[in-house]
Amino acid sequence: MVGIGFRKDFATTLLQSPSFNPAFIEVAPENWIGVGGYWKKLFNQALEKYPLYTHGLSLSVGSPDELDLNFLQKVKTFLRDTNAQIYSEHLSYSKCDNAHLYDLLPIPFTTEAVRHVSRRIRQVQDFLERKIAIEIVSYYTPVAPELTEIAFINAILEEAGCNLLLDVNNVYVNGFNHQYDAKAFIDQLPMDKVAYIHMAGHEKVSDDLIIDTHGEAIIDPVYDLFAYTMQRLDRDVPVLLERDFNIPELDELQQEINRLQQIKNVHLKNPRYATA
Amino acid sequence: MQLPETTHQHQSALADYCRTGKYSAIPGVREQHVTQYRRLVYNVVDDMLQSAYPLTHHLLTTREWNALVQEFFSNHPCQSPQVWYMPKELYEYLSPKEHKLKNKYPFLLELLWLEWLEVELFMMEDRPAAYTTIGDLSTDELVLNPEHHLQQFQYPVHLKTAKQLTPADKGDYFLVLFRKPDSGEVNFMNLSPALVAMLEILQEGPQTMDALIRQCCAAWQLQLSPEIQAAAHAFITQSLDNRLIIGFKSKH
Repeated sequence: MVGIGFRKDFATTLLQSPSFNPAFIEVAPENWIGVGGYWKKLFNQALEKYPLYTHGLSLSVGSPDELDLNFLQKVKTFLRDTNAQIYSEHLSYSKCDNAHLYDLLPIPFTTEAVRHVSRRIRQVQDFLERKIAIEIVSYYTPVAPELTEIAFINAILEEAGCNLLLDVNNVYVNGFNHQYDAKAFIDQLPMDKVAYIHMAGHEKVSDDLIIDTHGEAIIDPVYDLFAYTMQRLDRDVPVLLERDFNIPELDELQQEINRLQQIKNVHLKNPRYATA
Repeated sequence: MQLPETTHQHQSALADYCRTGKYSAIPGVREQHVTQYRRLVYNVVDDMLQSAYPLTHHLLTTREWNALVQEFFSNHPCQSPQVWYMPKELYEYLSPKEHKLKNKYPFLLELLWLEWLEVELFMMEDRPAAYTTIGDLSTDELVLNPEHHLQQFQYPVHLKTAKQLTPADKGDYFLVLFRKPDSGEVNFMNLSPALVAMLEILQEGPQTMDALIRQCCAAWQLQLSPEIQAAAHAFITQSLDNRLIIGFKSKH
């Protein structure tokens, strides 16, 4: 199944459209916790129609600060009240030295960070009483790296015992920005831990930099990488189409959803071709 | 247990750069690309503040606005994990401070607060109320919409465009902001002190129109006159219409 990020920009249209049919919706709990009035009514209507997946923004699992347990309790309540199927977060930090930054900064790929972040993810999982899925983020510069990106990610997945949210576009973006082969990178990921996939568009801003904007349609090479991922995966997992800016007509988003579903169908119908 | 010093230091250095725009070398960082983080972080904060405070953004010059956003984000550690709630912290940051913008625009804090109240009332969690929309104005008890906020200002920031406000406007202004139950839209009504008193009585619990007017007159030591009766009736009717008074107390 293929879902869509539930954006306030197109929430009303989505709920009224007879031809737009995502299998589920995804929200960031931060954008809906403590919200009432007009948006709450729309959100409740959406919850009656679609299963909910969640993707946090502010937990900041990679932060040097202490976890915000008060906020985590609100997330837990939100997940319970909305019957959320998955809670995922980013392998990054968005809070440092007691100040929120409201964007995703890259964690230094260090052994210290592996231990620290893994411990925090375990703490989050214990608190929420559920496994979470951690997303590989796109990044535009490494910071004081001691390990390779893949070694860093795999060590955390292993030590934290969490699931992986595989953002295929991010792997493509990172492969371009840091000159590595995206398929070879996917080959090294523990596919048994993939619980959720994200797909999105991006913007190439210079000859050596792509920014992960979620503001464009998915490009063909990212579809190809998705097909490759599905082949490697050899099983069904939910896939999300992210579109946060520059929102087109819903028909265009439906076409992207259809294409993702078709790629899934091809690989799920032919499992014998799944592993090379 | 906290991170050992080195990794923490590098994370702090990057976060600091994003907040202040002042870069100090961090090992392994590609300097031509790290600027993207400062740009992305700053844009999120600037966009959220512009969206919460469109009137203030319009009032200030571009240079004043940019300097304010930069000063706020550099000096203030934002506490809310919810970005939509962060703009309130700009108001809280400026409130206790001596600031040149407050000297130039003496009504600035009140304008910010009015704008924030609109955001918060629109977004805030529902406050349940027991009421029915069917009732008799002359006999049934009136129920105040619980999703409201009474406010006093020294400047009529809710009545005049900010650029038209002058020191001569200074006075006492009262208003109520409230969220309409059906649309979720936030409206406001300008109030006289007597009408504020009437709403404060209704805040305590449902009252019939007659009891409300009598209590209000007693509080203000006014002789109940046909004029007062008519004005109060008109206000209550209007408030029922626009759902500041949400309905009548249910008899069951």
